Formats: sequence, C-alpha cells, structure tokens
Amino acid sequence: MRKLGFLLLLVGVLSFATIKVGLFVPLTGIGADDGLSALHGAQLAVEYINSHGGVLGDKINLLYYDDQTDPKQAVTLAYKMVQRDRVIAVISGSYSGPTRAAASIYQRLRTPMIAAYAVHPDITKAGDYIFRVGTLATVQGRAGAHLAVEKLGAKKIAILTMDNDFGVSLAKAFKSEAEKLGAKIVYEAKFSVEEKDFRTVLSEIKKKNPDVIYATGYYFNASKIVTQAKELGIYQTIIGQEGYDSPLFIQLSKNHAANGTVITTDLDRDSEKPVVKWFIKEYEEKYGRPADMVAASTFDAVMILKKAIEIAGKVDKSAIKKAMLKVKGEDFVTGFKRFTSFREAVREVVCQVVLNDSFHRLCKIDDPSITTPTR
Amino acid sequence: MQDVVNALVLGSIYVLISVGLTLVYGILKILHIAHAGIYTLGAFLGLMFYHMTGSFWVSLLLSIFLTGIAGIGVYRYFYRKVLGESRIVPLVISIGLFIVMQDLYRLVWGPYRQPFAVNFGINDIRINGVVITQHQIVILIITAVSLILVYLVMNHTKLGLAMRACAEDMAIAGTLGVDVERTISMAFFLGSALAALAGILVGVYENNVYPTMGEVPSYKSFVVIVLGGFGSLYGAVLAGFILAFAETLLVAWKGFVLPRDAIAFLVMIAVLMIKPEGLFRRATR
Amino acid sequence: MSLDYILTLITFSNIFSILTLSLNILVGYAGQVSLGHAAFFGIGAYTSAILAAKFGVGYWWTLLASVLISGIVGLLLGLPSLRVKHDFLVLATIGINFVVVSMFKYIDFFGGPYGIVGIPMAKIFGKELSTPGFSLYTSLWLVAVILFDMYLNRVYARYGFEAVKENEKAAESIGVSVPLFKIYAFTISGAIAGLAGNLWTYQMGMVFPDDFSFSVSISILTMLVLGGMGTTSGPVFGAYTLTFLPEALRFIQDYRMLLYGSIIVLVMMYQPSGLLGKNGILRKLFKR
Repeated sequence: MRKLGFLLLLVGVLSFATIKVGLFVPLTGIGADDGLSALHGAQLAVEYINSHGGVLGDKINLLYYDDQTDPKQAVTLAYKMVQRDRVIAVISGSYSGPTRAAASIYQRLRTPMIAAYAVHPDITKAGDYIFRVGTLATVQGRAGAHLAVEKLGAKKIAILTMDNDFGVSLAKAFKSEAEKLGAKIVYEAKFSVEEKDFRTVLSEIKKKNPDVIYATGYYFNASKIVTQAKELGIYQTIIGQEGYDSPLFIQLSKNHAANGTVITTDLDRDSEKPVVKWFIKEYEEKYGRPADMVAASTFDAVMILKKAIEIAGKVDKSAIKKAMLKVKGEDFVTGFKRFTSFREAVREVVCQVVLNDSFHRLCKIDDPSITTPTR
Repeated sequence: MQDVVNALVLGSIYVLISVGLTLVYGILKILHIAHAGIYTLGAFLGLMFYHMTGSFWVSLLLSIFLTGIAGIGVYRYFYRKVLGESRIVPLVISIGLFIVMQDLYRLVWGPYRQPFAVNFGINDIRINGVVITQHQIVILIITAVSLILVYLVMNHTKLGLAMRACAEDMAIAGTLGVDVERTISMAFFLGSALAALAGILVGVYENNVYPTMGEVPSYKSFVVIVLGGFGSLYGAVLAGFILAFAETLLVAWKGFVLPRDAIAFLVMIAVLMIKPEGLFRRATR
Repeated sequence: MSLDYILTLITFSNIFSILTLSLNILVGYAGQVSLGHAAFFGIGAYTSAILAAKFGVGYWWTLLASVLISGIVGLLLGLPSLRVKHDFLVLATIGINFVVVSMFKYIDFFGGPYGIVGIPMAKIFGKELSTPGFSLYTSLWLVAVILFDMYLNRVYARYGFEAVKENEKAAESIGVSVPLFKIYAFTISGAIAGLAGNLWTYQMGMVFPDDFSFSVSISILTMLVLGGMGTTSGPVFGAYTLTFLPEALRFIQDYRMLLYGSIIVLVMMYQPSGLLGKNGILRKLFKR
C-alpha cells in the first residue's frame, strides 16, 4: 500500500512541471525577524497561487536560502540559484546591502529579480532585469511631507533621521518637499539604528515646540521614540513610515504610547479587497502573528511575478522581464499599480493612524505628482 | 537635568553588565564575549518565567539563579580545558559560543522581538518637567542594592577574600588553601547572575527581548572595563557612569556627527593614549 | 555554467585568505592581537572605490593607492601599539574598527550609508575580467602573498617578530628593536589588507560600510586561529574552510549557524593551536 502511494506521488511529481522561483532572505543573525516575515509572505503567495490553479497550469516551486544579511552570500547564492537550481526568477526578501550586491549578478545572468522591501535607491539601476515592489523612499518621504503639511497643517516640523540608507533617503525627500510646501524645519538630529535612548534629542525637540515630528526608523526605534516622547510630555503628532508598520510597533510601546501616531505605508488593513482580507486572515492563522509590511510586500512580489509569467504566456526569462512592465492590477495586497519605465513601483500611499492599539486607515495619497517615482 | 537622570539609568545598566564581566575577567583574564550571550539568556528566562508565574520578582530570582548556573557551565565545559593555552584560544571559543547561543535563542524563542511589559504600580516622578519613570526608579534601586551586595560579598565574606586572592595570583591562592576551582565557579555564577539581572532590567526598560540583543553589550561592556582598568571593580563602576555621562552629553551636543558607539570608543582610545592601563589602574597590593 | 558558483566561492576564499595572511603577520608573527583588522580591509576597499567611481582612475593605480594608503594607516595606527599592550590593545583595535566604519557611514565623501556603487569591472591588460578571470586573478595574488609570507617567515624579519612575540625584554637585550618591528608588522599587515580591499571592491562592484564591520574582524581572526596562526598554510586553510562551510552546511537549513558556531568551539577546544598549527591534527596527517 505504502509503495503504491509512493509510486503515485512520483508520477504526480513527474507529470506536473513546476516553475522554480528563488528567494533569498536573512533567516539567521540580525535580520532574522524580517527574513522570516518575508519568507512567510512568499510561502503564502505560492500557496495562494498553487491552490488557485497555478501559473499557466503549472505549480510554483519556491526555493529559499538564508543570506545572513551578508552581501558575500547573496552574490554566491545568485550563481547557485540561477546556474544550479535553474530558477526562472528571484525574489529578494533581504536588506539593501545583499540585494544591491546580488542585483548586479542577476542582471549579468539575465534573470529577473524583484526586490520586495529593500530601499537602496540604486538597486533598480543595476539594469533592466531588476524591479522593486517596495515604495521608493523618496516617494514615501514626499507623501509624508504632504501628510504633515497639507493634511495635518504643520508649519514647524522637527526631523529625526536614522543613520542608514532608509532613514537618510526618507528624511532628505521629506525635508525638501516640506520646505517646498512652506513648512519650516526647526530641528534635525541623526541617530544610529541601535539607539535606544531618544530622551536627549526629544528634550531638545520639546524646547523648539514643533507642530509635528517626522521620525524615520524601524518599529523598534519607533516604539521607543513614541514611549519616551509621551514620558517627556510631548503630545504633538509623530509621523512615521512603513518602517513602523509592524504589530510589534504597538506591542513594544509602553503605556499605549503608539496611539495617535500617523504613518505612511503600503498595507491597507481596512481594505475591502478579497485578497487583502484573505491574506490578513490566513497569515495570522497560519503563523500566529498579524501580518506586517515586509510580509505583504514579499507576498506581492510573488503575485506580480505570477502575473508577469501569465502575460508573457511562457516561462522565459526575457519574456517575463518584458511582461513585468505590463503588469497592472487590483488584486495585490499592497497598493501596487504598475512599474515605471525604470522599474520602480507606482502605488497609492496609505496613511494609517494608530487608534486603540491597532492600525486604521486615515487617508490615501493618490496624487500622481507625489506617488510617481522619479530618479 | 533630564540628561542626568537618563545618564544615571544608562550608567546603571552599563555598570551591572560590566561588574559581572569584571569579576570573571579579574580572575581568569579571558575576553569573555559570550557574557553578552549570558545576558540575553537572563532576559529570555526572565520573560519566560514571567509569562509562567506572572510575578516579576519570582521570575527575576529564578532567572538569575539559572543563568548563574549556566555561567558555571560555560566555565566548566568550555573554558577550563583551555586555560593553559594562548589567550587568543578562549577568546575564539567565546566568540563561537556567542554565535551558538544567539542562534539557539532564535531557534527556541523565535527571531521576533517580544514585549516584556511589567507594571510595578509606582507612579512616575515629575519635578520641574524632569521625569523619572517607574522603570527608571526600579533600575536605579536594584542597581544600588546589587552594588552594595557585591561590595559586601567582596569585602566581608570568605568567598570575596578568596576571589580577590585568586585575582591577585591563582597559584599562590591555591597554596594558601583557597579552593580555586570553587572560587572561579562562584565568580562565574555571580558574574552571570549580574548579567541576567541587567538583561531582565534592559528587557523591561526597553520593553523588548530578542535573540541578538547582546550584540551591542558584547563590545560595549569591554569599553567600560577597559576604562575601569581591566579587573578593577571600583574602576568598572566609575567608568560605567562616566561613559554614560560622556555619551549622553556628546549626543546632546548638536554638531557632533558620530554615533554613540563610536563616541564610546573614541573616549576609550583617547583615555588609553594618555593612560595605557585605563583610568583606574588596579591597586597592586 | 554552474562553475561560476564554485569560482565565486574561490574568489571570496582567496580574498579572505589574503586578509587572514595579513592578520597573521600581526598576530602570528608579531604577537599583536587585533580585533579590528576589517578597518584596514575597508580603508583599502574604499580607497579603490572612491578613485574608480568618483575619479575614473584605472585599475592599477587604484591597486597601488589601496596598498599604499592602507599601509600608511597601518603605520599610523601601529604607533599606539607601542604604548598600549595586551588586552588593552585588542580593545583599542576594536575601537579603531568602529570609528572607521562610522566615518564611512557619517561622512558624505565616503558615500554615507549608501556606500559607493557603480565601480566598473577591473580592466587588466585591456580586458574586462569575468567571473573565472577574476577568480584566477585573485588566485595569482594569493600565491604572491603566500610567497611573500614564506619569505617573511624565513628571513631575519621572522627572527625579530618571533622574539617580540615571545618576550619583548629578551628581544631588546639581543639588540632587536621592538618598536621598529611592531611598526613593520602593522605597516606590512595594513598594506596587504589594502590589497584584499582592492580585490573586494572589484569583485563586488560596490562597497558598503557594513562590509567592514566588527563582525568581519571577528571572522578574520576566527579563520586565522582555526587554521593555525604563525604558519603560512593555516590562514589559507582557515579562510577556505570558513568560506565554504556555510555553503556546505546549507542542507541543514535552520541549524546552519548553530553547527557553524559549534564547529568553531569544538576545534578550538580540541585543537587549540589550530588545525594546521604546531600540534594540529591536519599538520600531523600531512607530515606522515
């Protein structure tokens, strides 16, 4: 009986060709938490696709590898996945350094790569095989400025900049746009990603009495910023971005200090779209924690790839690359709309506010002059 | 004024980690990088017991005790065998252990940050716009109490005497009838217990515990003990606070462009250039 | 075609072998333990990157500049070692590593957190080197460094270094100038690390501050001690093993780092002088 089952399985495997898609994510070391979210997001997308008829009748087979946030390993993996595993396309669920380093190799090997959430502005400059789903930091910074000045009516703004590529690009874009809109930047400070104590800079900000504070950072920086701001009696709105977009932002903030924070992000949790509802519900059931921005972006990266293969009509790298620019659609989890000619995502930016310890939609920014990426 | 409060709390944490490390270093002269892994273990055990028992103080004691035992294990099973080797050998073992520990925590408790929300039921103190939060109050009190305890142990017990004797010269201490093995184990127990205490306090203060939380303390604590003169307890205490004040003030001073860690190291290098053996050289008796 | 995967690993192993050999001169021969060696590696890499990407300087000039500048910085940073000793020196070198990396990150001239991207491929004798070509090229440099290391090992320099390592006072008494030898070691070591930096820049086509962080210094030291310091074959063996190991362990997926760390711990416990060191098991095997 068992033998028969095995035989059937073998036949099953042989009769269905699979489409091999590669994924590199940090699963050990510093970025292991984001890496796991990204992996889960991608696995969920593959499951969704395979249970909804696959792509061109075939199933997707996801091969994933740990890059330990190490550019060296990401580069090595690029050769391994393309030449050994013969993947048809690759998703990056990793950070900027490894993604940028690997992008050059994928370009050289003529294999499409989609970066899910890495932010380095030069990633897509590696060539015409490299795409990015995540919002470009410049778009997000601009959107943040509109949110601050036009929607919240801020005139005096304080900026806190995290010292990595993400923080610096955001702050730069935010600053120039906010000044263009007529606001005044009254205070600026930089902090390191590892920083835990913001009381010193927050005390300085308090003296300047700005209308809002634009603080770049990840959720674990942000939870400290909002907690310590409340401690010091700073009640001005703090504006964040997709770095804050994790259920952990709210959980790690003390005394419900996250409430009232406004962010610009990709994932609209109040959306009525069926795919979003399915994703949010399924993710929490399967992995025991609410979905975050990283998971959503990686989910979409796989969905976009699937669409491109369908448009191409064949499993061919060059055809997929061309088809990628034609992908348009509604059934994505994030507000992804299409790629620009230089392969950056055009999307609507969602503004969310934390109320009662959960994220809610505040408004959408859809003005093409803000949301269209520029070089 | 707010800066003074912040620096005091930051300094307390530095001191707790570094005093534990100094106890170990003082006797074995090992660059015990895995101390930061022990610190993380303390935080995780504390959080786990807190979820199980619901009492912060019970989980604090349990975690401190078990982490102390783990510290003894690190000495007995890993360091003891290589004490006669070149000093670089235990250093590399320590690095390897730190890698293993961090990855074990990830496998057991998952890679995500976990909140460690404890409410002590005391009110924040507010005077003239300066805030001292309940967590800061608890940290300051616990640090003060533990430092007094360490002082009493070191100066008024046989164990303390034995530890000081071993730190001076292990061979002589042995011939004088000190149980060297036991003394070293106790030093590891005490040092690791202090690390666990620091881990739990940081976990509660920052409201998060995660596998790689030892990354920064792994080198930062060494900056403190270098400034303190490598092995001097008083030195470590003073250096911890001095470093915390220097960092806080330099971060506040606008126009200073380097991050906190670089500041700490610059302070350290500057001190070493002037006093190559640290600010507080160990008194030789 | 799947050869490129192995060739890339070989290139990285070569670069790290050169780095580990350069650290060996400092630690293995001169007895100056450094946990900040990635700083020199980074200075070499950034020198080449800035010259190539910002000023369009040709390959050979960037190579020369990397070696010279890293050597000079090695000399300057070697000076404190005359004053600061033992574990204090270890910590001082960690400090130097952190300060150098934060300068890359915080000073715009060095590209800031973005690093420096868009370095053209190395043109050597008028030809752009592809993956196999560059792999061969780094192998040639590795051979050159090995030969230089054996030379150092043989000639009088070894004499001086060894004496400095064993006992500074005794070395002085037989007329060896301890400060001079330490400075030599720091300078040569820095210069060779600069060469490794140059190779890294052209292999990656870009540099990021984090490529040269403290954790990289830790890996280099681990490679050295694991292979066997004070020998020529040990560092190369250590670098190759620890570069290939994470790839070889991929099949165990989630337990990869755990096993990697455990192997380091176990080797050090049972082979404290390194696998190819004085009493190393592999050394004995080869001797037989």
